[in-house]
Amino acid sequence: MDIINNLLKIVGDAIYTFLHNLIPSPFIADLIVMGLAAIILCTFAAVSFMGLTYAERKIVARIQDRIGPNQAGPFGLLVPIADGIKMFTKEDTTPTAADRWVYNLAPLVIATFALAGYAVIPLSPGVVGTNLNVGLIYTIAIGSGSVVAILMAGWGSNNKYALLGAFRTVSQLIGYEVPMLLNIIPVVLMTGSLSLVDIVNKQSGLDGGTGIPFAVYFPVAALVFLISGIAETARSPFDLLEAESEIVAGFHVEYSGMKFALFFLGEYVNALAVAFMFATLFLGGYAGPVLPPYVWLLIKAAAVFTILMWLRGTMPRIRVDQMHDMNWKFLVPISVFNLITVLLLGKIFTTPGSVGLITVAPLTQAIIMAVATLVPFIGALNLVGRRMRRQLAAVESETETRREANRATAAAAMGGTH
Amino acid sequence: MTLHQILFIVISIAVLASAVFVVTTRNLFHAALMLILSFFGVAGFYVLLEAGFFAVAQVLVYIGAISILFIFAVMLTRGMMGMPRNNSQAQGAALVAAAIFVGMAFVLGPLAATVQVPFLPNSSPREIGGIPWAYSTLPVVPDQYVFDLGRALTEPSRFALPFELASVLILLAMVGSIWVARERRPAEVQAERVEAANAAAEDTKLEEALERGSVSSAPEPAVAVAAADHH
Repeated sequence: MDIINNLLKIVGDAIYTFLHNLIPSPFIADLIVMGLAAIILCTFAAVSFMGLTYAERKIVARIQDRIGPNQAGPFGLLVPIADGIKMFTKEDTTPTAADRWVYNLAPLVIATFALAGYAVIPLSPGVVGTNLNVGLIYTIAIGSGSVVAILMAGWGSNNKYALLGAFRTVSQLIGYEVPMLLNIIPVVLMTGSLSLVDIVNKQSGLDGGTGIPFAVYFPVAALVFLISGIAETARSPFDLLEAESEIVAGFHVEYSGMKFALFFLGEYVNALAVAFMFATLFLGGYAGPVLPPYVWLLIKAAAVFTILMWLRGTMPRIRVDQMHDMNWKFLVPISVFNLITVLLLGKIFTTPGSVGLITVAPLTQAIIMAVATLVPFIGALNLVGRRMRRQLAAVESETETRREANRATAAAAMGGTH
Repeated sequence: MTLHQILFIVISIAVLASAVFVVTTRNLFHAALMLILSFFGVAGFYVLLEAGFFAVAQVLVYIGAISILFIFAVMLTRGMMGMPRNNSQAQGAALVAAAIFVGMAFVLGPLAATVQVPFLPNSSPREIGGIPWAYSTLPVVPDQYVFDLGRALTEPSRFALPFELASVLILLAMVGSIWVARERRPAEVQAERVEAANAAAEDTKLEEALERGSVSSAPEPAVAVAAADHH
């Protein structure tokens, strides 16, 4: 049982000792081990991209009452490979008016930033690319790098639609970074560290952790983080920067073949990174009973990704103004309120071992925080919902009166001719 | 040479080369991208100094926000690109930059100098420059500096006041930009246009009056004052 639980660690340690025995210089051996780890992590992300495209096609097809891919191989399992062959054999075009260097570098930059985020996610106890003491901010910073790549693609293509898509990117991705950052602060406050390993340890039952995932403490923060995460990766319903019906395909309209595939990879790998981040921050990462830790992490990340696919299959794309309204008029205020509540409650109710007014058990603290943040959140939702319904009713009554007037004029015209 | 030194040289070359490219290229967008590369190099310096938090903050603030803002402004002004650069202040700016560089190298570098401060006659000669950390190997405490930074920014006796002032400044800028970009009612826009037209008319009237005064050598100041009064 122990062997299965620590499989990743044992394999990693074995490779490490083997290479250190083989190569006399410990420095070069370290370098090779790190390179291997980086290659394995990137390969995992790239291979999971193939699996994710298949899963998404199947699940969205189920939601829309279709069968989905079923021709290539059993259950259509070879569809990702067929996709790959199609991408490889497509003509690689560069528009004549494009800024050649910027245009060709953009897909590489987006793929690099997407893969770099995996370096700090703890996969299993003792198994993490690198245990940065600022791992959490690192992932956010790396995520902001993809904005640069999208701008490069939009500008380099020298295409109006591409440029429009890039403009939308700036406002959306930078705007949604605000609620995202505001909602990781409660987690950091509870843990007292920016390291993802410490955050997972705090949520696991071992090493002085509470065994309670942060989603129980901060349900509102978790929800807002997930929403802004979807917006950050520009997936449906926030896929405004590549809205097919409005700006053709946005920033990657001019790309074809493998360059387009790299953008596609960037999107999926980023979305998967958000799923992993959510699982790590709010669902306890690899912590879980019975099953091995890495399996728990995969289950949690897959569950979050399924929610993303579910949203993609059911939600219509929101308008630009709605997207901004949602961010600045709802998510940001609720995040700030949530943060202040957590700050105050964190000073009043503390667990044994830290300074505060009232000392309570961890579970009681979690429930107090959850209730105190959920109640105003539901109240705000109610308010917004009532206002939206009123606006909708106003619009409907207006169209109804216009329709009535049209009917009346039409009837009058008919009467006139006869 | 250790790996640190090799990395330092490589990153320095990248930072300097991209910085030179930023000021020499005529394509503003390329300049902005090279500026991002330069910022990345500076983040690399922080990593070499084992200050991970500052490296990440550099990427988040300079690349994630400031550079994007640059690029956004540049993209909106595509027509400006390729125009001949005729900045008359370039030489002066270069002079000031060189002076600041020399000063920084003197104060922060390993060159120490003993100076007698003239306006404080009773003071002993002071040592200027040669700050010890510039060439000593102080032990690095990887986890501690984030806490130190947080305390320094919140302690009233240290940097709490400058920190708050900076945030007030940013708030002011934000309010100002919202006021400039605010939605105006049609009537308001009309009023503003009328006002601008009036001001322009006043200006031309004033200019004409001045011109007439200078040409006909009439009591010049009187006309100007009259025009100003009218305004």
